[in-house]
Amino acid sequence: MKTLDLPRDFGFDEEHELLRDSARSFLQERCPVSEVRRLLDDPVGHDAGLWKEMAALGWTGIAIAEAHGGAQLGALHLALLLEEMGRVVLPSPFLATTLAGVALGHAEGADWLPGVASGDVLATLAFAEPDGSWEPDPVAATAERGEGGFVLRGTKAFVPAAPSADLVIAPFRCADDEIALFAVALPQSGVEITPEVGIDPTRRSGRIVFDGTRVAASARLPGDGAEALCAAFRMGWAGLAAEAVGGAETTLGLTRDYAIERTQFGRQIGSFQAVKHPIVNVMIATEQARTLAYAAAAALDHAPAGSEVPCRMAKAAASDAYHFAGNRAVQFHGGYGFTWDCDAHLHVKRALWNRATLGDPTHHRRHLAHALLGESGSP
Amino acid sequence: MASPHDETEPQEIADFRSEVRAWIAANAPGDPGFKLPQSFLEVESQQQFEYLLAWQQKVYAAGYLGLDWPAEYGGKGRPGLQRIVSQEMGRAGTPFFVNTIGLQWAGPTILHYGTEAQKKRYLEPILSGAEIWCQGFSEPGSGSDLASVTTSAVRSGDDWLVNGHKVWTTLGQQAKWMILLARTDPSVGKYDGLSYFLLPMDAPGVTVQPLVKMSGEGGFNQVIFEDVPMPGDALLGELGQGWQVAMTTLTHERGAAEGSGGGQLGGGSESVRALVALAKGVRRDGAPAAADPVLRDRIADLWIREEALRLGGLRGRVPALCGDRPMALALMNKVVFSELAQEIADVACQLEGPAAQLYVGDPDAPDHAEWPRAYLNSFGMTIGGGTSEIQRNILGERVLGLPKSK
Repeated sequence: MKTLDLPRDFGFDEEHELLRDSARSFLQERCPVSEVRRLLDDPVGHDAGLWKEMAALGWTGIAIAEAHGGAQLGALHLALLLEEMGRVVLPSPFLATTLAGVALGHAEGADWLPGVASGDVLATLAFAEPDGSWEPDPVAATAERGEGGFVLRGTKAFVPAAPSADLVIAPFRCADDEIALFAVALPQSGVEITPEVGIDPTRRSGRIVFDGTRVAASARLPGDGAEALCAAFRMGWAGLAAEAVGGAETTLGLTRDYAIERTQFGRQIGSFQAVKHPIVNVMIATEQARTLAYAAAAALDHAPAGSEVPCRMAKAAASDAYHFAGNRAVQFHGGYGFTWDCDAHLHVKRALWNRATLGDPTHHRRHLAHALLGESGSP
Repeated sequence: MASPHDETEPQEIADFRSEVRAWIAANAPGDPGFKLPQSFLEVESQQQFEYLLAWQQKVYAAGYLGLDWPAEYGGKGRPGLQRIVSQEMGRAGTPFFVNTIGLQWAGPTILHYGTEAQKKRYLEPILSGAEIWCQGFSEPGSGSDLASVTTSAVRSGDDWLVNGHKVWTTLGQQAKWMILLARTDPSVGKYDGLSYFLLPMDAPGVTVQPLVKMSGEGGFNQVIFEDVPMPGDALLGELGQGWQVAMTTLTHERGAAEGSGGGQLGGGSESVRALVALAKGVRRDGAPAAADPVLRDRIADLWIREEALRLGGLRGRVPALCGDRPMALALMNKVVFSELAQEIADVACQLEGPAAQLYVGDPDAPDHAEWPRAYLNSFGMTIGGGTSEIQRNILGERVLGLPKSK
């Protein structure tokens, strides 16, 4: 239980503030809830024009080194941006491509980075196996040496943005039992992508089958694959936490506004403590998750060696807070809350998706307990 | 974990921290050889009181109390440094300061509302421990509805005459002074008719009767006033301003404002760190308790919340990171802190298993039943200073703008 040494202000400065403020006004203008609803039925699921605008703002290169065409800003920048995206439930492959960029950066996939940074190449990271396992080392897909390269076999499921991805980064087990990341441009013969019907229509995902796929030797990224995956996971936990906090904030606002507007028994329902106190509990959970999300990002920026614990804490707390916020939002909107028309379900579904991605709260608490108490059975 | 210092701390602060740490290492009191109270709420014997008072006197003499308070009132005029002392003493696990009500509640209120003469008169003896303070807010008929208090203060020439009944009076037997919320005008609205006084506890007509807490400990009292004379200058703030002054006191009591003379919120020793030590040392069902998967999950959850609270203290100092609702973190503090402490003590009792059935006095009770006692005493924090339910009303109404609960 070491103290994590973070800057007292979490490293927050005017640049962060500028990014957050401009992102907020841009996203609120470009992605009102009417636009989210339009995209629910869109075959692609995100707006290509908006993607180009986001790329032009430099967002797609935010976590990529300047030498590779990125803006090389920190995790706190990314967290603040994702919080704003979460607020509007932005339908976008942004997180998928950002995490793929982080993995590429750590696995020395420099050749691919400029395209990802510019937004021209929509990348994704296929971290999960069909049984849902992803951590620490469940990789069943294999890469065998073949003529002039490798032959890839296996299936990756729950791959975010898979149906629209131009590039997939995925871990494969090599002959030496080492985990390596492979970069595979799409479409590609021997790679079959089946879109999944997801619970959250603002996220699109798919299953990718590598059926004896022949790739060049250069597809294997030279860096340590397991280490690169862990780096992407940590960023993913902090990023998903920040996004969930943004979503929880909007959800809390929906519930608060309705509790003021709606009257029953001649009173505003927010005056009933059976309604008021749970809304306060949502606020407390959201604020605690927000603190941890910022701390996780600050740790990635300033104390990366010790960042695993705060990143896991943030993911666990924010997943719970967002889910709780969505649950109470539906309940306190009553019959209307149960309808497609009420925006609460957009958040409930996003929260379910987020919670299950890259480890749910129970998963992370199990790892945190390990850090705190040692291995189960041998304290 | 309880020591959030870092490499970016200004040199002056870092130097001060090192100085305090060295002083504590050389001066922290040893085991007294008798049972100490877990917080200032349970001081029941003269022996405990004197031990704790001696510690406060020693710390004040060394210059580590009242750092944030102006020098002309006995302080050091170095705002911001008291927090460093609190952090270091928390880390070292030194005893709490017995005059907590003076240091944390009465003192900051007097600093805010007091006349020059009042500040000169009352503040220095709070820091030195020469004069102990208690609080006269709650009454038998006025708990959560604090503004309904009926204890009256009536003009009698230049002076006041007090009649009524206050309860849950911590340190009532040792106190020289009481911060008193009393009704001065029953003809106006319940909030407007209140005034705030500094009442001498040694005045004739003051009767202090001890109450026993659910933990079996003392420290609690009720105070009855029968025609108690109080000098004219006992009024703090304006006549009829009592509610506003009392809210200032409660803001400090709830840990939602800075400017304390010293000490930490609560004062209990409940922490995840202690829980981990316990979990590693006890067995449950024939296996190490630390291996129980359900308890591991709960301890990890408590760790997350403890870190959120600690790091929230840092975030609260960065206004740009609190933009959605600037007052939330400060006003959340009390309910989050007290409920977390209670849950930690509760999980500790579960870790101890049947041993937690043993209580203070049983020779086989682990750690003299510190954890069961901490659990029982934890209700003092979730009820005192405004219950968790009242805190949630305040958060809902003041922070979220929800309609009042009638």
